[in-house]
Amino acid sequence: MPVIVFAVIALTMPFWFPLVGGYAGLDTKILIWAIFAIGFDILLGFTGYLSFGHAAFFGVSAYVTGLMLLHYSANIIPAMIASVIVTTIIAVMVGFLTLRRSGIYFSILTLAFGEMFYAAALSIFSDWTGGDNGLTGLPTPELFSMPFKENNVFYLVAVLAIIGYYIARRIGNSPFGMMLRAVKSNQTRLEFTGLDVKKYKLSAFVISAIYASVAGSLMVIYEPYVATEFVHWSTSGKLVIMSVLGGVGTLFGPMIGAAFMLYFENVISAFLQEQWLLVLGLVFMFIVIFLPGGFVEGAQRLKRAIAGKAGDGNASKGASE
Amino acid sequence: MTKPILDVSRVSKSFGGLRALQDVNLQVMEGSIHSLIGPNGAGKSTLLNVMTGLLQPDEGTITFDGRTLQNVTPHEINQYGIAKVFQTPAIFPEMTLLENTLIPAFARRDGSFRANLFETPEHAHEVYEQAEEALAEVGLQDHMKQEARYLSRGDKRRLELAICLVQKPKLLLLDEPTAGMARHETESTIQLLKQISSKGMTKVIVEHDMSVVFSLSDRITVLAQGQIIAEGGPDEVRGNPKVIEAYLGEEQE
Ligand SMILES: Nc1ncnc2c1ncn2[C@@H]1O[C@H](COP(=O)(O)OP(=O)(O)OP(=O)(O)O)[C@@H](O)[C@H]1O
Ligand SMILES: [Mg+2]
Repeated sequence: MPVIVFAVIALTMPFWFPLVGGYAGLDTKILIWAIFAIGFDILLGFTGYLSFGHAAFFGVSAYVTGLMLLHYSANIIPAMIASVIVTTIIAVMVGFLTLRRSGIYFSILTLAFGEMFYAAALSIFSDWTGGDNGLTGLPTPELFSMPFKENNVFYLVAVLAIIGYYIARRIGNSPFGMMLRAVKSNQTRLEFTGLDVKKYKLSAFVISAIYASVAGSLMVIYEPYVATEFVHWSTSGKLVIMSVLGGVGTLFGPMIGAAFMLYFENVISAFLQEQWLLVLGLVFMFIVIFLPGGFVEGAQRLKRAIAGKAGDGNASKGASE
Repeated sequence: MTKPILDVSRVSKSFGGLRALQDVNLQVMEGSIHSLIGPNGAGKSTLLNVMTGLLQPDEGTITFDGRTLQNVTPHEINQYGIAKVFQTPAIFPEMTLLENTLIPAFARRDGSFRANLFETPEHAHEVYEQAEEALAEVGLQDHMKQEARYLSRGDKRRLELAICLVQKPKLLLLDEPTAGMARHETESTIQLLKQISSKGMTKVIVEHDMSVVFSLSDRITVLAQGQIIAEGGPDEVRGNPKVIEAYLGEEQE
């Protein structure tokens, strides 16, 4: 059901989004970030591991897509496949090393790895990546020799976002997903119940990196250019902020968070001018302090309050995780 | 008729300069209830930790059911058939009671890892049945959809026992299962332990409460300062002067 709701919202975006001030293309970008955020929630929301290094996967994938378009073929299919393969391999290695620690140490390790990738892109690989200028001069992406842009990109992104959301929900409801949530709840008990906790954590990490790679690759197909910002830690930070704003662990919440963040950054910022970051910071603080479950918790509380007034005052629906 | 299911042979373990276990030999017979007693800091928990793979012994070997437990991880040892009830109840607090027992039920069906990303658990009828049965066995069947963190301490202990029971372990280790419980909770827990003991599952129990020890055990091993100072049936141990000196004497309650 929620998948159908999401599908309808996503696919009709080109019709309603301009009415609320969204410019053409911003809807595509929102859905790309939504893919990024859903995958991140499989790691953060389910297992509780907070990574500050996911920009590395997003960025590496973007570079691979860019380089494939530039040097191999303008066809998006080999570019996307290569991006996902390369990112997956890197994620297995990074995950293997960073998941040896938990809590703040894991976060710092992932941050350090992320910065290593950023530094590498700007230094030793700068002949390939274009260094500070980013990777420019990419051809218009194609699909079977047809130019692939604008609306085509939007629908590809929307379909992938819907599939991504569907898969994430299936994972969330599976025994595998239950083990991931058990990692967050009590790792020791899980280990002493005969489960290989390391493998479950690594799987969640790699799955989230695959989502990040799909998003990174789509970003370049959407706008044939790779900005150095894609591998910068600020991209990881933005991802964390949108997840928290939307509601960690709810899958739907982080997507809302992504939409809110990009809408705020691109539309509302025009009204607030330079102050927009300050206002965003205030919104973030308000949410963390008063609504730790993010927008999703806010919506649930609102629903309960309304049901409580309308009904017999016995509205204890029980919040789902 | 019985053979040892667990054989601890010449095990030593030190923490820095502290010798927590010194040359410990212990045989646990299949189907028996074997208690470990001794004053605080005697090394009882350390001995259990060595059995579950949480700690590796510095010297000596442990054999369980024909396999040596050397450099084997805790989850592998669990899959061999050793389950443990912790000193403070170890459960999944944010998950429902049913999920708490579904996890070991899936672990039993699937082994230590399975990437069943798209399986709908509702269709795994057998697994569900096992999980529900285990909850019923400890008397928690009426609150299956409730989150475990809201349970009382005694009920958390019951839930932890249910988690262990789902796995049908060959050996169950219990570290002070009645610690921190009110009198009536202690009694119902003992009742429960007796009930599940009738199924022939081997148990090793660390316990401070002497009435519990003497009423449950087939055999008792007494540890003091990392060494075994006595071993025998309840009556032998009760009358042993060394034990009275090292343990019962100093801690009369
Ligand atoms: N991880 C550790 N690091 C350092 N010292 C430890 C560690 N674990 C236990 N010890 C020490 O080893 C000795 C034995 O501890 P252990 O916990 O096995 O005793 P115990 O018999 O279970 O005691 P209690 O009845 O208090 O639970 C103690 O002196 C303890 O301080
Ligand atoms: Mg102890």
